[in-house]
Amino acid sequence: MLFNSLNFAIFLPIVFILYWFATKGNLRLQNILLLVSSYFFYACWDWRFMFLLIFSTLLDYYTGIKIHEAANQRKKLFWLWLSIGINLGFLGVFKYYNFFAASFADGLSLLGFKANLGSLEIILPVGISFYTFHGLSYVIDIYKSRIKPERNFVYYSVFVSFFPLLVAGPIERAQHLLPQILKKREFDYTKAVDGLRQILWGLFKKIVIADNSAEFANTIFNNSSEYPGSTLVLGALFFTFQIYCDFSGYSDIALGTARLFGIDLLRNFAFPYFSRDIAEFWRRWHISLSSWFKDYLYIPLGGSKGGMWMKIRNTFIIFIVSGFWHGANWTFIFWGALNAIYFLPLLLTNNNRNNLEIVAKGKLLPSVKELLHMLLTFALVVFAWIFFRAENIGHAFSYISEILSASFFTMPKFNEMGTALSTLILIVIFVLIEWQGREGQYAISHIGQSWNRPLRWTFYALIIFAIGMFTHSVESPFIYFQF
Amino acid sequence: MKKLISNTLLFILFASLLYIPFLFAWGRYAPSWFKPNINYRIGSYGHMYSRLSEIKNYKDIDILFLGSSHTYRSFDTRIFLDSGYKTFNLGSSAQTPVQTKVLLSRYLESLNPKLVIYEVYPATFNMDGVESSLDIIANDINDSHSLEMALKINNIKTYNTLIYGFIRDLLGLNSSFSEPTIKGNDKYISGGYVEKELGFYKPTAFVKKKISLRDYQLESFSEVVQLIKNKNIELMLVYAPITKVNYDSYSNTTYFDSIMKRYSNYYNFNEIIALNDTQHFDDAHHLNQNGVNIFNKKLIELLNEDKARTHNRVDKK
Repeated sequence: MLFNSLNFAIFLPIVFILYWFATKGNLRLQNILLLVSSYFFYACWDWRFMFLLIFSTLLDYYTGIKIHEAANQRKKLFWLWLSIGINLGFLGVFKYYNFFAASFADGLSLLGFKANLGSLEIILPVGISFYTFHGLSYVIDIYKSRIKPERNFVYYSVFVSFFPLLVAGPIERAQHLLPQILKKREFDYTKAVDGLRQILWGLFKKIVIADNSAEFANTIFNNSSEYPGSTLVLGALFFTFQIYCDFSGYSDIALGTARLFGIDLLRNFAFPYFSRDIAEFWRRWHISLSSWFKDYLYIPLGGSKGGMWMKIRNTFIIFIVSGFWHGANWTFIFWGALNAIYFLPLLLTNNNRNNLEIVAKGKLLPSVKELLHMLLTFALVVFAWIFFRAENIGHAFSYISEILSASFFTMPKFNEMGTALSTLILIVIFVLIEWQGREGQYAISHIGQSWNRPLRWTFYALIIFAIGMFTHSVESPFIYFQF
Repeated sequence: MKKLISNTLLFILFASLLYIPFLFAWGRYAPSWFKPNINYRIGSYGHMYSRLSEIKNYKDIDILFLGSSHTYRSFDTRIFLDSGYKTFNLGSSAQTPVQTKVLLSRYLESLNPKLVIYEVYPATFNMDGVESSLDIIANDINDSHSLEMALKINNIKTYNTLIYGFIRDLLGLNSSFSEPTIKGNDKYISGGYVEKELGFYKPTAFVKKKISLRDYQLESFSEVVQLIKNKNIELMLVYAPITKVNYDSYSNTTYFDSIMKRYSNYYNFNEIIALNDTQHFDDAHHLNQNGVNIFNKKLIELLNEDKARTHNRVDKK
């Protein structure tokens, strides 16, 4: 059940009405309803993987209690590693087995040996990377005595399976989400309206910008050998907006939906393309994953406290693992490593925390220096996305070499120049709205708040109109579902 | 909570009401490349406007032809008239059963044919029907059947174009439109046929493919058949000739044949007459005039034989 589907448009109001009316504010009933709805939502994808989700939930629920109750450190460690091992084991089998088998065979063949470990016909269970990381953060936090285990299985299951975040995050923390699940939730009109507004903006991003950009990004990347460098640059730009609007659009819908139920999820995006350096970009892009890796990998490894080599090692580890989290392909690993290379100079010169506030706060326009920094950072990000989107490393390099050839200076060519132009115009309008709303939680959170109601509603109606006018005929699933 | 629900409903009403004038203004003034989801093409490819303008003059005909572009390019009304059959060709570009049903609901009564020849091309059963729906919306009146068609196709482009079409109809914006008889290589012939300047196809290789049928198209097809049978009108299903390279690329034609036979008398002309891919075709699946002459002659032969058989049966009784 896609967020941008008719099924979801029917499902959400039904759950919403039952949640606030049928349960009469009873917390237990509300949580049971959320759990049943979440499992139904998940079963709509593939009911067979429900068992995996329930097993993973049971595992972390049980090991969490065992860690807490363990009499000594050795036993605590045993239960912790049991949970980590089984969770990562599932992830390894479903997501990475074929990659490791193929890479191992390739490695042996380089040494002159022949090996065929065979590949498995495995379907990746949707959301596995997300709910596995949920569970891991929960047991690690119990081990570190940051939280106590939740003994009510239904409540804990809602934390793992809450449908807005189940299939593509944000990756929640028990410390943030569990207290909200345990607390009586009152209906808040302002919060609900804000949620609806955020859903609307998320739909606009996904349907209007991401899906239309996808058409060109896919055509150009899938047939890159037929296009000149100038078109390939546009292809990379289209993908840059596709992935941002696809994923942040999803996150907006997830956050907005959760707010309808009185729950605040972690913010996942904070206008990353307005960043002035790569460090700032990574504080604004897929925030819940970046902070997860920082808290559960980077800091335990020593963070940036050690010497220079330790900083370099840890930076590479966190970025490469982050890349690998996205999928079993060398392109993701290379993408992660490239970002580590971008990031290191800032870290080693202690300039990685220069830009903590949003650019040009309180101003209409950025300074020339800020603009140049933004453009440079954006160019680096676009360049890295080529690796992320390419089929393989060879494809990425041939793509880049064509960009760096003389064909870069030719006119871009498309089969449907008019449609490409309309998508570019939409992207420009989108960027302007994002810029205008960059100080809010999401672009339109504050736009129009001081206007009178007819004007404000006309603005929202225009967004709906744009969705109606530019909905792409081919509905594409969210990119991050595959991760 | 009640405030949220009432405000949401009010906003939905407000946005819906604004959507209509926005859509009309956008459809009328935005350049075509900037309105991908409004595709209003009056007088478009296939002379549908001329066909539907002319249909009002036809009553109590012998044969009504239905189907896709194969229909208006393969059943030459002049040839049938020469053989004594008064016919009308109601084919339209990419017409799928969903559109056939709309057209029949509007015109079957007034045309009152003795026989319906429904050209069935496997690909049309697997189409979403959007292209053809746009053709009908722009070139015909819009009524409750149009809405039913849009709901069945359930595509934003069809919805938007239908709303735009409704407004244009209301404002009478199409009243001064007239379609030329000759457009490019196409010449409209009275009775709905479109003659194309003689061209010859150069065969190319085809990838093997399978015929598959969409459920809702098959459902509409059944409804069309029922609609015709309910009026006691004879129905003949015809798979018009396509090039051999194209025909042979389908790996499960027998499956399609078996389904069609369940509905009515069915003739697969790819198995009945032998045509040459170059000499008798304009492209991979449209006959040229040479091919049309042969095909129509054979079809008339079959019709005459059938007629004779019926007469004999009546005489014997």
